[in-house]
Amino acid sequence: MTAPFLSICGVCKRFGDVAAVDNISLDVDEGEFVTFLGPSGSGKSTALYMIAGFEDPSAGDILLRGASLVPVSPDKRGIGMVFQRYTLFPHLSVADNIGFPLRVRGCARAEITAKVADMLRLVRLEKFAHRMPHKLSGGQQQRVALARALAYDPPLLLMDEPLSALDKKLREEIQFEIKRIHNETGVTILYVTHDQEEALRLSDRVALFNHGAIEQVGSGRDLYERPATRFVADFIGNSSFLRATLERRDGACGRVEFPDGSGLDGVALVGEIAAGAGVAVMLRPDHVHLAPDAEGALGARVVATTYLGDCLHVVAATSWGQTIDARVPLGASDMRLPEVGERIALRCEPSRARAFAGGK
Amino acid sequence: MLLDYSRLGWLRYALTGVAALVCAYLLAPIAVIVALSFGSSQWLKFPPPGWTLKWYRALLADPDWLTAFLTSLEIAVIVAVLSTGIGLMASFGLTRGSFRGREALRALFLTPMVLPVVIFAVALYGVFLRLHLNGTLVGFVLAHLVVALPFAIIAIGNALERFDVAIEDAAVLCGASRTQARLRVTLPAIRLGLFAAALFSFLASWDEVVVAIFMASPDLQTLPVKIFTSLRQDLSPVIAAVSSCLVVLTALLMGAAALLRRGRPT
Repeated sequence: MTAPFLSICGVCKRFGDVAAVDNISLDVDEGEFVTFLGPSGSGKSTALYMIAGFEDPSAGDILLRGASLVPVSPDKRGIGMVFQRYTLFPHLSVADNIGFPLRVRGCARAEITAKVADMLRLVRLEKFAHRMPHKLSGGQQQRVALARALAYDPPLLLMDEPLSALDKKLREEIQFEIKRIHNETGVTILYVTHDQEEALRLSDRVALFNHGAIEQVGSGRDLYERPATRFVADFIGNSSFLRATLERRDGACGRVEFPDGSGLDGVALVGEIAAGAGVAVMLRPDHVHLAPDAEGALGARVVATTYLGDCLHVVAATSWGQTIDARVPLGASDMRLPEVGERIALRCEPSRARAFAGGK
Repeated sequence: MLLDYSRLGWLRYALTGVAALVCAYLLAPIAVIVALSFGSSQWLKFPPPGWTLKWYRALLADPDWLTAFLTSLEIAVIVAVLSTGIGLMASFGLTRGSFRGREALRALFLTPMVLPVVIFAVALYGVFLRLHLNGTLVGFVLAHLVVALPFAIIAIGNALERFDVAIEDAAVLCGASRTQARLRVTLPAIRLGLFAAALFSFLASWDEVVVAIFMASPDLQTLPVKIFTSLRQDLSPVIAAVSSCLVVLTALLMGAAALLRRGRPT
């Protein structure tokens, strides 16, 4: 069996008594696009900086093609990186910025010129070769930074929230560019963001960070449909969590009963939960429907509604005081919409619901 | 905006008037000195009764003035170079370092700015007497370096403070060693700060008279000391001619600085 392309093995980073990164392990394949997603302070950037070499791991090892990166100084790692802030060299033109890593490596002038032209074409900034950085927009600066980071054909490209300073529309435009460049160059990318939409849009796999540890690694679909922990379920997408008790267990599924006596059969159970224990049932708004009759359904009172064009977002309160979100698809134009204060009956798709231990 | 210039009404004229008065107040002494240097009166009478170039001829005829000028220039250039170099290293330590007592050290570096110069001059005089440094070039340079260093540390420190370390980190990831990154990226990026440090250090030494009076010997004196002693001995219009030359030199220096900064981002 061959060694994985990039292997993060039991890496920790402690600052005094605080563990910023707490024993993370992850293998990345060559050419893969992996995103570190998580709230701020979850350790995702620290993990990236250890791979770049600006922080030393307190424990564990990082292997690239089977060789440890830890003893190698950052300038010898040959890794590319695009930073959150604008980091173009202010005294050099766009072309000289992109050529800098090649000049440092002592490449021949003709080779540098050719490579810089290639890179400018890759990020579609051919016309800006002789501009100075301060004459570029934020989006253009980050594209030049990307070209500079790729100019020396790094095996690995790190991106630390490169789009967080840009507005939403531009961000989406450059996300598309990054995806295209990933496809064209086939470079392995580790990308840090706190924006789940960005993570889902770009990545092959997402590693969700929380309190310095990785909660779950998987495709966007894995994380959304099969969250391994309650944190993942809460962080990815919108979901409501309702208190319930596990009435019966049949293998990996079970029947849960809500405080008002209504129940849901065939809910997937995450982890070992004993019958009779309290659980938190995750319900995605898309999988909560209006029920035609109250029989066996969940009773709730509408608290707020938001008209979203293709659907109506309904926030309702259960009889025991928890809130539940539902997205009601809008069919025929004469469809009667629920109003605030109205009592409604809701039916949840049990196959899409998941029960986590510790009902609250 | 409330204080929009175009909406000030009659206040605009008042504002222009005050600005003109301030400018006149600042420029008048210089104008008087320049006029006196061309005046024919032996006693610096103003307005001059007639015009002449003889004070400039007298200035050029006296080799002592040229010697003092060259001494000042030599000391100021050496001080500017050393002060910028030491200031650069000190600023790196003060802005990038994380050690105990960093703020105290920064304050210590800046004390020459707040300490009364004459106290510092007397103290230095005492120490240099023991070291036999009074009246030597080394003594002058060391003394002026203390006066000039705070200016360099402030100018370079500010530039380094504004410079994002992530830019240097980017250069390191590009394959440059930390030293290479600093030489090829950080220094060019803060070059305006370095230039300001050199200029202010030069002027701090060039202009300095209190410490210089204590350091000077009959064989070695700077231009300000020469002017001061000449003033006390005989109040000759040659001094007005020297001053006018200095005004022109300073104006040229500032003009060159302005040209260098033109079109550069702040």
